[in-house]
Amino acid sequence: MTAIHLQGLTKRFGPFTALQPMDLEIRDGEFLALLGPSGCGKSTTMNMIAGMEKPTGGRILFGDRDMGAVPMARRGVGFVFQNYAIFTHMTVRQNLDYGLRMAGVDPGPRTAAMAELLGLTDLLDRPSQGLSVNILQRLAIGRSAIMEPAIFLLDEPLSNVDAAFRAVMRTELKSLQRQFRQTMVYVTHDQLEAMTMADRIAVMDHGVLQQVGTPLQVYNRPANTFVARFLGAPGMNLLPGHAVQSGSAVQVDLGPIGLTPPLPGPASGPVTYGFRPEEVTLDPASPLKLPVTHVERIGARCIVHLGPVKAVFPAGTEIPSGVVGFTPGKPCLFDAKGGRI
Amino acid sequence: MKLGLRLTLPAQVLVLFISVFPLLMQLYISLTDWSPLSGAPWPRAWEFWNSFANYTDIPGDRRLWAALGRTLLVMVICVPVEFLLGLGLGLLFVEDFPGKKLAYSILIMPMMVVPAVAGYMFFMLFQSGGPVNDLLSVFGPVTIAWLSDPWLALVAVMVADIWQWTPLMFLILLAGLVGVPQDQLRAATLLGASPWQRFRTITLPRMKVIITIALAIRAIEAFKIFDTLYIMTGGGPGVATETISVYFYKITTNDLIWGYVAALALFILVSLSIAAQFAMKRMAR
Ligand SMILES: Nc1ncnc2c1ncn2[C@@H]1O[C@H](COP(=O)(O)OP(=O)(O)O)[C@@H](O)[C@H]1O
Ligand SMILES: [Mg+2]
Repeated sequence: MTAIHLQGLTKRFGPFTALQPMDLEIRDGEFLALLGPSGCGKSTTMNMIAGMEKPTGGRILFGDRDMGAVPMARRGVGFVFQNYAIFTHMTVRQNLDYGLRMAGVDPGPRTAAMAELLGLTDLLDRPSQGLSVNILQRLAIGRSAIMEPAIFLLDEPLSNVDAAFRAVMRTELKSLQRQFRQTMVYVTHDQLEAMTMADRIAVMDHGVLQQVGTPLQVYNRPANTFVARFLGAPGMNLLPGHAVQSGSAVQVDLGPIGLTPPLPGPASGPVTYGFRPEEVTLDPASPLKLPVTHVERIGARCIVHLGPVKAVFPAGTEIPSGVVGFTPGKPCLFDAKGGRI
Repeated sequence: MKLGLRLTLPAQVLVLFISVFPLLMQLYISLTDWSPLSGAPWPRAWEFWNSFANYTDIPGDRRLWAALGRTLLVMVICVPVEFLLGLGLGLLFVEDFPGKKLAYSILIMPMMVVPAVAGYMFFMLFQSGGPVNDLLSVFGPVTIAWLSDPWLALVAVMVADIWQWTPLMFLILLAGLVGVPQDQLRAATLLGASPWQRFRTITLPRMKVIITIALAIRAIEAFKIFDTLYIMTGGGPGVATETISVYFYKITTNDLIWGYVAALALFILVSLSIAAQFAMKRMAR
């Protein structure tokens, strides 16, 4: 069990900076999700932790050991690749006990136990070539997990499997981590995966770490408009407006939409007014008014489009047509640069 | 008859004739004692009919068996050496290093040199007063007569072959090495495999087919070794570097025993085909 400390970790490819100096503490035994859109530098960060890429700057520590000079074969991290990197010229069993064999350890009952845990028992002596993606994915996890690494890195392990299987694997991965208590870093671009599995989420964009916190913290108190929009489905509503001081509180002039109820805190000038679609209530008396433009009914919920605003209600809700009044709950204010006020 | 077959029949017969005719002609001549000096054109070779006498001569042909042994010796030394050198260079060139492009161009140059030119080059290099001896003089005064010593001449000839054909081996093996999935190598490393273990468990199994092909190509070519060697030594001193091809060349142009040459050629062709079939089957496993 080991904590991971990233201190000013930086990566440049020629003139292109893939990762701006990043400071991040990943606690011992923690499940941390590294969340961000494609190309934001998640894999680059993971590859540096695993030792596959050399950092341009900064330090990586496992516990209090500096990993700078430790080659990847000696770091003892488990790594699951996005494309699994299964040894297709070997059988399932040869894949599973590869690490043990290379270390000169007799796999003994460990292979069978790991196969049992992942439901691979019947396939042990099958060639791994041609197995389904779902099975390859389990095999990739098992092949690393059998080494009982203190640190387990998974790079988008579920992005290629089908939706039903993804839900199953989310639960299994979480229970695997509870059982072995590894420090787990899980890369994903799917905010739902991050929200459901992680102890904490680190949100990245364009090589910059945006916010670190528990799923509820990043969901409820996003550090900036990027995080606000990226988490939740649909993401937070963000309306441009103008802050107007009224006593010790602030109101936001949203132009034709109306003037918002007062919020605490000083603010002035152009701001962004944000609120979650789930927090919207319909209220004919509200000063904020927009027309209903479109209603999406998706199973248990319905998403109502009010011009630029999205609101989520339970499926059975009666939706009036025409211009409606609405009240946003738990609003957040962001300054002109997108930072939270 | 199908229309397609009918239309292409003339062409097919022609192709068949072109490919089979030389073999049939050889078979015919091999059953006679005919030679171009015998005064009759080849179709009348039957006048010199001696049935299987040429074939029964083969087992007693000492010079032939010695040449065959020498050829096989060249093959079993040169091909593995070229393979190991090519593989080593290939492993070096899958990684990046400064000056790689230049080194690459220089490395594959020997392959482009016309064999006759390569022959003259090594003929010069291995002269008594040549650069090879000059280089060896660093360790003390030497005047090794490379090309007039039976064993050293064979060594010189093999050095030339290795110089010329390692690049081909290198190119083929590099193509194979580049095709080994990088992710699998990384995965193996992260699971704690040492470089040697990675090579043995990932790289080699993935290169099986390409290694078989590379060895087969070079083995067949090495068996036919002629041009560079002939210009360097002419098969000499004596018959010290006389390989199968050189022997054939000599008995064809000097001794003019064409009936026997034809019989030999057919014999070698058949035995080589059988050997190749056998070897390919073994290697594929
Ligand atoms: N070897 C490389 N050379 C140049 N650019 C790279 C290299 N690897 C990644 N990048 C760039 O760095 C950025 C981050 O890549 P990556 O970490 O793979 O993103 P993610 O995993 O978040 O999708 C991308 O814009 C990518 O094009
Ligand atoms: Mg990635």
